[in-house]
Amino acid sequence: MDTLLHILSGMRWQDIADITLNSYILFRLYVLFRGTYVLRVLIGIALLWFFQRIAVMLGLIVTSWLTQGIIALAAFIIIVVFRNEIRGVLQAKNFKSIFWGIPQKKAITSIDIIAESAFELAQKRIGALIVLPGKEDLEEFVQKGVSWQGSISKEMIMSIFWPDNPVHDGAAVIQGDRIIDVGCILPLSRREDLPSSYGTRHRAALGLSENTDAIVIVVSEESGKVMLAKGSRPRPIDRGSKLKQKLLEHAGRSGKGLHVYRREKLEIGAAAIVSISLMTAVWFSVSRGLDTLMTLEVPIEYMNRNPAKEIFDTTVNSVNLKLAGSGSLLKTIQPEQARVRINLDKAVNGPNAFTITQDNIELPPGVILKEVKPPVIEVTLDVLANKELPIQVDWVGKLSDHLILVAVRLDPEKITLVGGKQILEDISTIYTEKIPLDNIKKSGKISANLALNPASLKIATGFKNKITIDYVVAER
Amino acid sequence: MKYCNSLFLVVLLAVPGVFLTQTTKALAESGITSTDIDPVPVRAVICEELKDRLPKNEAIVFSITNGRVYCYTDFDPVYKNTHIYHNWFRRDILTAKVKLSLKPPRWSTFSYISLRNTDKGPWRVEITGPEGYILQTLRFSITD
Repeated sequence: MDTLLHILSGMRWQDIADITLNSYILFRLYVLFRGTYVLRVLIGIALLWFFQRIAVMLGLIVTSWLTQGIIALAAFIIIVVFRNEIRGVLQAKNFKSIFWGIPQKKAITSIDIIAESAFELAQKRIGALIVLPGKEDLEEFVQKGVSWQGSISKEMIMSIFWPDNPVHDGAAVIQGDRIIDVGCILPLSRREDLPSSYGTRHRAALGLSENTDAIVIVVSEESGKVMLAKGSRPRPIDRGSKLKQKLLEHAGRSGKGLHVYRREKLEIGAAAIVSISLMTAVWFSVSRGLDTLMTLEVPIEYMNRNPAKEIFDTTVNSVNLKLAGSGSLLKTIQPEQARVRINLDKAVNGPNAFTITQDNIELPPGVILKEVKPPVIEVTLDVLANKELPIQVDWVGKLSDHLILVAVRLDPEKITLVGGKQILEDISTIYTEKIPLDNIKKSGKISANLALNPASLKIATGFKNKITIDYVVAER
Repeated sequence: MKYCNSLFLVVLLAVPGVFLTQTTKALAESGITSTDIDPVPVRAVICEELKDRLPKNEAIVFSITNGRVYCYTDFDPVYKNTHIYHNWFRRDILTAKVKLSLKPPRWSTFSYISLRNTDKGPWRVEITGPEGYILQTLRFSITD
């Protein structure tokens, strides 16, 4: 209990927002895709991931490798296989419905129209085949006829199935309050136990209802009877109210509507709770998992430097950050996600000591700073200055005992250097690179480079790094 | 050999002139100006040894095996009793500051350092007046 209170007291408002936002996204995905196979496949993938973790734990190399591969392809598979369902969600007429509200399955008014139209067609002995899709995609089973995309009305239904209409023999697909397609061809049922009175229309209706969750209304031209095909069972319907009842049931708003409505509310509520619980669990496992420590070397960034001042020296160029957090978080941390910044706006010329605190460090959320090494850094700032300095040769080695190096002439004798003002103040001579004496047997001339120390010193424009040394040796 | 000797002679003759030029420049650079009563250096050299109070084996490179290095300076005229300094620098670090007295009308004086193995490298001696202005700078190296 104490641990739980400790964890909860350590939560920031960002953590609450993080869990809430992701829970809502998960909940909306459920709401938008409920009833479709997408959700089932997602659950399947989750189970596959769980299976893969177990396989890894047990050391089943090939199994874990294969499941990992399938999971990696899952996103691609979902997009390809469920493109229609995804498109259906994204092409919603009201964009707001993606983010808010619970979509109603069907409009009640259209059910009334369909039921009334079916019995009027029956009364007039006009054959009809009306498909009301469920949650499943029918594209695989229905051969599309003519795209209609018209608002539903009794007159419209009557005219579609009017014997002189070229599309009257096909099926009409009605979704919500719209007639989507007409003249569609349905697969025929191959069952042999059907009554002999059933014609092609009945077989077509059953052919579709057996394979999908759609229901199909059949109006017999010969008998003037209405039959409803749902699943593999044909149901004769003798009155309009009964048909309406069945259609409402299919729409999830049957006569037992209150019960169904409550069940739906319960289902949505449960989905919301599951989403929150799942995201909270994921959040805790990611950000509050087993504590792991790691050390990250991060380069120091300097900001707000006065343009007139230059950084001439620093004690270190990077610091080691000892970080703590859950293993999964620390494993994914990239070096560029951690930043150490030093504000130089108050820095003065010369050495400046900065203590690196939490304010100087930027870390990904959930990662805790334990230690900084070194905790203090020194940055030397200076203004640029020029100084003319005499050059001196740095002789090394040994001159032959019988020789004396009596004179030397340098060209140039002096050079102008550019560097930090304070650094230049402490320098009164610039030396050449080391010139060996061992090979000198007589007077001569050599050229040499200058040894610029510290390296921040630069030779002023117009001067060369190379100088000529004209030396004179004499016998003792 | 004859050529070498002639060149050596030319160098020796040219040295005092170069020194005087350098002295003037050094004074100008230091920002401190010499007065009319300051001693005037006519000769300043670094040498291996002194023989009969005169420098012997003037050079710009000295072996550590010599044991010592001398800085010899000759002033003419010296207007009054005064003193100068020989400031010995290894690279830019002052390692010895020797105060030397001068007396009218002419005075020669010297200082020296004993060499240790750690003294190898480029050196300079700054000869300064009593007020600290640089009269002359001599540069040399200590090697193996």
